[in-house]
Amino acid sequence: MSELLLSARALRKAYPSGDRRIEVLRGVDLDMADGESISIRGESGSGKSTLLHLLAGLDRPDSGHLAWEGSADTGASRRARFVGMVFQAFYLIPELDARQNVLMARRMLGPLDGAARERADQLLAKVGLAERSHHLPSQLSGGERQRVAVARALMNSPRVLLADEPTGNLDERTGDAVIELLLGLCADTRTGLILVTHNAGYAARASRRFLLHLGVLQG
Amino acid sequence: MPWYLYLALKQLFPSGRRLPFFTLICVLSVALGVGLLVVVLSVMGGFSFELHRKMMDVTGDVQVRASDFVREPAALQAVIEKVPGVLATTPFAEGYVMIDFERRPAFPTIEGIDTTRVRRVFPIDRYLIAGSFDALDDDGVILSSQLAASLGARVGSRVEVYTPLIVEKLKADEVELPTELTVAAIFEVGHQQLDSSTVVVTLRRMQQLYGLSGEVHGINVRISPDIDADQEADRINAAIGLAQRDGRLKPAPGLAAKSWKQVNRDFLWVLQLEKNMMLFILLFVVLVAAFLTMSLLLVLVLKKTREIGLLSALGASRRQVALCFCLQGVGIGVAGTASGLALGFVFGHFRNDLVRLLTSLTGSQQLMERFYQFSQLPWHADPKDLGIVVFSALALSTLAGIIPALIAARMNPVEALRHE
Ligand SMILES: Nc1ncnc2c1ncn2[C@@H]1O[C@H](COP(=O)(O)OP(=O)(O)O)[C@@H](O)[C@H]1O
Ligand SMILES: [Mg+2]
Repeated sequence: MSELLLSARALRKAYPSGDRRIEVLRGVDLDMADGESISIRGESGSGKSTLLHLLAGLDRPDSGHLAWEGSADTGASRRARFVGMVFQAFYLIPELDARQNVLMARRMLGPLDGAARERADQLLAKVGLAERSHHLPSQLSGGERQRVAVARALMNSPRVLLADEPTGNLDERTGDAVIELLLGLCADTRTGLILVTHNAGYAARASRRFLLHLGVLQG
Repeated sequence: MPWYLYLALKQLFPSGRRLPFFTLICVLSVALGVGLLVVVLSVMGGFSFELHRKMMDVTGDVQVRASDFVREPAALQAVIEKVPGVLATTPFAEGYVMIDFERRPAFPTIEGIDTTRVRRVFPIDRYLIAGSFDALDDDGVILSSQLAASLGARVGSRVEVYTPLIVEKLKADEVELPTELTVAAIFEVGHQQLDSSTVVVTLRRMQQLYGLSGEVHGINVRISPDIDADQEADRINAAIGLAQRDGRLKPAPGLAAKSWKQVNRDFLWVLQLEKNMMLFILLFVVLVAAFLTMSLLLVLVLKKTREIGLLSALGASRRQVALCFCLQGVGIGVAGTASGLALGFVFGHFRNDLVRLLTSLTGSQQLMERFYQFSQLPWHADPKDLGIVVFSALALSTLAGIIPALIAARMNPVEALRHE
């Protein structure tokens, strides 16, 4: 039997707000198969980021169960290989050039070798930034920065890529290009993709589509 | 290179960009503290080094004394001179006298020396400021500069010397007249403590003044400069012990050799204490630099909050995040200490030019030479002092990195990512 890439059962998360608690997630179930692409839409504040953080193992649910390829180990060192993340605000390290930002993901796994550097260059070429690999983030446009972030997320050949509104800070045309890139690269490398987006058009391109509403995922 | 070290270095010294203000300020403040320590300790070290040399010039490298008298100096000298490493020996007798010049009295210590041998042990000519050593005969005397000044005596002046022997004789109803001596030379060692009022006469004259018949108070020994004085004193003691056992020397109570360090132990201790106090006080400059580093690192941690969140998303553990910031403290410590050492030694190299420039600007050159008896700033960098400075600067900078590192490590990655 083939293991599920990622499975979440009855994830609940609440935040204290004054003397009440806001129940953000009220029992999220999600099963994801290898190489699948999933889109999640939802209003602002509906808990999409919260859910992605839980799925990435960055935060613990109040209750519920999460497994990556059948294992409940979602610790830091496993995360470095298993998950790639792309954020709305890029989060590039300003002191490092594009290539070093991509390599930063690989450094988490141990010393760099020639193959790693080669892969970083290939990825930068794939996202169309071969010429800009020695530019600092401050010298790149928003779309270019996000493409560097995509290359970084894919550097360690993760099994699943979590993208949290990756086009949120980009204009439409640039956003389109980034989405094309994400979908294309993930399909090519059979990497699972969970895409959180407001854009119905982008969401429609995923193989499965969900809406996060009132703390649960609706198909 | 682990990623946290790489990132720490890149944040301190990004390639292809200007040095960040943060790095510059922190490194500079540590460097100033370390540089100041190096300069002050080396100049103090230089002064005490000069002082040590003067002490050795005054007491010899090793001094052999008995509890009262050395009764057979020649035999003892023969034993000492056989010890390997001993270059020369000279006997001395000492005491107190009253000296009178034109009704002005003074009570200096008196030193009787063997004029034929003393130069092999003491570079006596180096310290003469008037007259000549060769002019010292049994009717001559050499005065220390302060004594000569207070008496108003000059080379050629005739001074009267009264000894305790006169008092002894008086008790037996005998009268002995004071001895009249001619000032042959005046010396100055160049340090208050060592330049106390002293007169020097020939050993024969001293023995006559004190009613001694061939006894001396001790033997001064010059040893080869590349051997340790303490160890040589031990060797001489062993040789004396052996000679007493096989009868070459008669047993004498308390006969023992001491190195110049042991003879001047109290004074050397005070010098060392002064230097240690200075080290301690100036270390506060480095401590303040460490506080500055810490506060700027704290600001950096807050500024980099979202990056800390990102690093967690990339798979960094909390320990590694902490190390990344702690290593920035270490990096500042290393860079600051290195540039501080460089700064200190560059100052050391050009110190005399700087002093000359300063004194000529303020017109105080002669004043300084008169008061400090030097025109060159002495310099001696003790590796042990440098080691303490380097170690403390590195330790304090590392400590400065620890608190920001702990704060970074305690950050919740999710909240860090949401940070605005
Ligand atoms: N640390 C927190 N403390 C309190 N409330 C929080 C915290 N984090 C998120 N929330 C709340 O949880 C809800 C979901 O937030 P989020 O997951 O960011 O939504 P989305 O990404 O869908 O816009 C919001 O109402 C937000 O105010
Ligand atoms: Mg969100």
